[in-house]
Amino acid sequence: MDEVKLTTTSYVPEPGDFSFLSQQDMNVDRNFASMGYWKGVLIHFFRNKRAVTGLVIVLVITLLAIFGPLVSSYGYKEIVSAVNDAGKKVTAGSIPPQIPGLFGGRNVKPQFADRTFLFGTDTVGRDLWTRTWYGARVSLIIAFVTIIIDMIIGMSYGLISGYFGGMTDNIMQRIVEIANSVPRLVIVSVLAIFMPKGMGLVIVALLLTEWIGMSKIARAEMLKNKEKEYVLASRTLGARSFSIIFGQILPNTIGPIITQVMFSIPTAIFTEAFLSFVGVGIVLPQCSIGSLIEDGFNNITTLPYQILPPIIVLALLMLGFNFVGDGLREALAPKLEDM
Amino acid sequence: MKKMIIFLMVAVMLLGLAACGSSAPADNGAAAPAAQAKTLGVMLGTNVMSLDTDLATDGDSFEVIADCIDGLMQMDADGAAVPAIAEGYEVSEDGCTYTFKLRDAKWSNGDPVTAGDFVFAWRRICQNAGEYAYMFDSSVGCVKNADSIIYDGADPATLGVSAPDDKTLVVELEVPVSFFPSLMYFPTFYPINEKFYTGLEDGTYGTSPETFLSNGAFVLDSYTPGTASLSLKKNPDYWDAGRIQLDGINYQVVGSSDNALTAFRNNTLDVVMISGNQVSAAENDANLSSNLKVTGAGYMWYLSFSQTEKNAQGGMLANANLRLAISNAIDRESLVDNYVMDGSLATYTAVPPQFAASSTTGEDFSADQAKFADYVGYNPEKAAAYFDDAAAELGTDSFTFTMIYGNNEGDEVAKVAQAIKAQVEEALPGVTINLQPMTKAERLDKMQNDNYDIALTRWGPDYADPMTYLGMWITDNSNNYGFWSNAEYDQLIKDCTTGAYISDYDARWAAMYEAETLVMQEAVIAPLYTKANANLISEGVANIEFHPVALNRVYKNTTIG
Amino acid sequence: MAKYIVKRVGLALITLLIIVFLLFVMVRIMPGNPFPSERMSAEQIANKRIEMGLDKPVLVQFRDYMVKLLQGDFGKGTSLYYGAPIKTVLSTCVQNSFRIGGLAILIGTAVGLLLGITAALNRGRFLDGFCTVFSIVGVCVPSYVFLIFLQYYFSYKIPYFPYFFDANRFLFSSILPALSLSLFTMSTVARFTRNEMVEVMDSDYVRLAESKGIYGPRLIRRHVLRNALIPIVTVLAPLIVDLLTGALVVEKIYGINGIGKLMVDAISGEGVDYNYVLALGILYSALYIGIMLAVDLLYGILDPRIRVAAKGDA
Repeated sequence: MDEVKLTTTSYVPEPGDFSFLSQQDMNVDRNFASMGYWKGVLIHFFRNKRAVTGLVIVLVITLLAIFGPLVSSYGYKEIVSAVNDAGKKVTAGSIPPQIPGLFGGRNVKPQFADRTFLFGTDTVGRDLWTRTWYGARVSLIIAFVTIIIDMIIGMSYGLISGYFGGMTDNIMQRIVEIANSVPRLVIVSVLAIFMPKGMGLVIVALLLTEWIGMSKIARAEMLKNKEKEYVLASRTLGARSFSIIFGQILPNTIGPIITQVMFSIPTAIFTEAFLSFVGVGIVLPQCSIGSLIEDGFNNITTLPYQILPPIIVLALLMLGFNFVGDGLREALAPKLEDM
Repeated sequence: MKKMIIFLMVAVMLLGLAACGSSAPADNGAAAPAAQAKTLGVMLGTNVMSLDTDLATDGDSFEVIADCIDGLMQMDADGAAVPAIAEGYEVSEDGCTYTFKLRDAKWSNGDPVTAGDFVFAWRRICQNAGEYAYMFDSSVGCVKNADSIIYDGADPATLGVSAPDDKTLVVELEVPVSFFPSLMYFPTFYPINEKFYTGLEDGTYGTSPETFLSNGAFVLDSYTPGTASLSLKKNPDYWDAGRIQLDGINYQVVGSSDNALTAFRNNTLDVVMISGNQVSAAENDANLSSNLKVTGAGYMWYLSFSQTEKNAQGGMLANANLRLAISNAIDRESLVDNYVMDGSLATYTAVPPQFAASSTTGEDFSADQAKFADYVGYNPEKAAAYFDDAAAELGTDSFTFTMIYGNNEGDEVAKVAQAIKAQVEEALPGVTINLQPMTKAERLDKMQNDNYDIALTRWGPDYADPMTYLGMWITDNSNNYGFWSNAEYDQLIKDCTTGAYISDYDARWAAMYEAETLVMQEAVIAPLYTKANANLISEGVANIEFHPVALNRVYKNTTIG
Repeated sequence: MAKYIVKRVGLALITLLIIVFLLFVMVRIMPGNPFPSERMSAEQIANKRIEMGLDKPVLVQFRDYMVKLLQGDFGKGTSLYYGAPIKTVLSTCVQNSFRIGGLAILIGTAVGLLLGITAALNRGRFLDGFCTVFSIVGVCVPSYVFLIFLQYYFSYKIPYFPYFFDANRFLFSSILPALSLSLFTMSTVARFTRNEMVEVMDSDYVRLAESKGIYGPRLIRRHVLRNALIPIVTVLAPLIVDLLTGALVVEKIYGINGIGKLMVDAISGEGVDYNYVLALGILYSALYIGIMLAVDLLYGILDPRIRVAAKGDA
């Protein structure tokens, strides 16, 4: 070890004394101002390209759902019709997608050859572009209702049931079994006697059963986590059940919970269409993505273009939701590798 | 991991085995029943609900029953009643006693078909008082004492039917019924082998080939309740076996019109029924258009208006002008051309065309669809005028009605409902129609309990007489869903069924026309269209007889290529 | 453990009783007669209802029903397959639905696991992206649309598979419907497996195992998959019940007489068939309760720290 020589003359720094060794090898610790958890989540989320793509997809579809029907020259329930040479009324039913001069227009009733139908028309003679986006509105509402039901009712129910276990769990799980076992068509038909059929009843019907899948997942995660060391530690330190459940365990179980939310959305969208079977559901001539898919399905090999727009919109929407969900999961419970 | 891979491999191999193992029998024809010699592959729209004549209520069940069992009479190609199990019959002077002479026919277990088999079956139906028991009562068949048995639980032995000997069946009627012989081809009047039936465990009759007897053209080959496919084979002991050309029929339930079209293209089925959009597709397809055959399905779709106080904003629809306004706002031609699209006929009469021809003139009762042009037809100006009258009478020009319809009653129904809503709201500003789909059971419930404003409903003729429709609108009839009541109408119908006109055919015919006029003048109902079936029939299949009444398809003369 | 199972089965029976009672009451509130009545007069309908015992107090009706049920008698169809004992109809439908549903579960779980594992091991690469898109599209395309697609191409364009279900060639004619039904399960399982595995692979103990030199299949099987299985089992359980109890549209399209269509027919035929709705409700809930019990037991096997049973029961 070299001995440090002490000099008597005081050192006066000059600019030349300090310089970077090289621009490349700079390795400086970055110091962050301390920031809140949620701010971190946001930053993390928006740094994730896939998550942002997902968000953009969802936003674009939402915007199209809001403005798509408005910019269209047709109403969602407007039956496009004309009078033919014989003086009979002809509707624009079942016209494949066409833009005059660009594509389509073969086999089309001559009265409508000059009209633009971006997605074609349905069998009744209404513009599918307008109806697809109108339907997306309804289905977006259902999607958000489902997310809320899942995140509030399903998650809490499952976490609480799993955490307390024993008799509480036993009773709560039997209630789930009862709620899940009464056929939905029966319960909805009975409810329909007491309340008007329509969107409200659809939401009630979803409220009845849509949370069950989520509660099962949350319960399983709780069972898995509650014996872990960190929970034990918290409990020993005297943390209250509420804060252990929602403060400690929840963040550690968020992964499967988000995945489950993503899968319950399309299920709920199709459930809405299925309920229309007993006359519960959005009322014709209104439509939803689910009902458009069912309509299109009736003529799937004869008029395949009718089922494509709603399925594609749904798939894109779900892709968007899943990207957002993945991004959220990574942002909420960051792992080393994601940093 | 290794275990899992093994598991996966096993699963894949299983699938492979399944594919290989089963591909061999695929060649012996089971995959393509159509390819088999003289076996017809036929589509059914719904599952067969029952093969018991007492319990069956739907056209598909009736068709299969009629393939297997002959009644006293059968339908010829034109729908006229010709002898079957009966060699012939005699009518008494007063027209109230029919004596049928039975031919030597056999049940498929070798027993002879006796008059007692008819007596047994008929008494049983009246005693059980099910859906079709009304065919015996005083509104249709007028068999003696049927009313008291069906409605008051009298002893079924008092029913006016008896078997003096095995080959003679005597039927006593309360009043002469001009169309009585034609009722005899309806499955409700078919016989059941009493000895066989009573020998079976309760509730098992007609639930398998072993528990069902034929005396007709075909016998059951394979069937279980609820099955989606059933097969019949030729009955070698049929009394008229020489006439039957088919070796068998394979029925397959097909749930969607689109699927039916592909099944036909695939030659899986020889006879399918398709609806609107598939009809357009078939018409535009050079390979299919020649196979398309439109036949009358018989039943008429119409709007029923509830006229009671508790519905429709305090009984607004009791106002005839309002009903007329709605009826005249509907463009029926557009309905059938643009929405139903299967050859159905726009209808402007309370009795639909093509099912009830006069036996003296041969003219169809409703051949002239313009006869009520003053009251019903598409005429927006007239509708507006009626509407103005109604508005003045009712003191308001804003109406909101709910229209109920069954969403499992056909592909076109929801479309028609939406079209009607659009048409009426366009022609009559001030009227709002809200659509309310439901199951058929719920729609019936709502109508029976008078809990609706407007209903999109249908009625199929059970027998070839206008009375099958006109009988519905008399006061207190359970099918008079509008609760319309008109003394003059009631009297006319009474005269036609039990009164002055029963033995004067032409006077009865004229009185029925008068009654129909009353219905149309007040727009008790708004007739919409008479349904047709668009069938695709394979090349080489000939002589399937289609009828709008009772039996939709009969295969007794059918030949294959 | 045995004590716990006995207790759970006892509770299951009580739950079942409550479900049956609820259904029993609800189905009677549903609009519509339990028999076809379009051609019946009001008095005829009233007589029929008395004949069926519907005029008696509900509790008496319930007692009568339970007495019959305990003798194994589900009654007869009243608006569906009239007259035929429900047991006869149900047994065929259950057979068909169980077999096809079982096949679908097998395919769905196997392929789903494989896809999920592949995706997790190739995290962030093309295969992972493909798996994500596949599983998302898989839940967005209803199984019946997929079935039509399969039927169109593999029964019609290339006529290899039968166009309709044929009970005599059971396995062969089950492949298309089973494949289409497995799509949703496949997607769900793949997605959950992938996400769970990724999460577990990031955890400290897997890193520890890796640092101890455990790699490859052994690591995946012993440390990753096992820990990822709990959520997979949880989502799979209700899917199994749903698949076993049939799917309306798939059955309708492919001409299968299965449970899914039976339920809808029971409600939407000429009337509301109380007996069928009840029989199917009992079947469904018994299945659901049974599988949930199995899942709770499975948790303990997958992760010995989990004890669903209270201490005294074990």
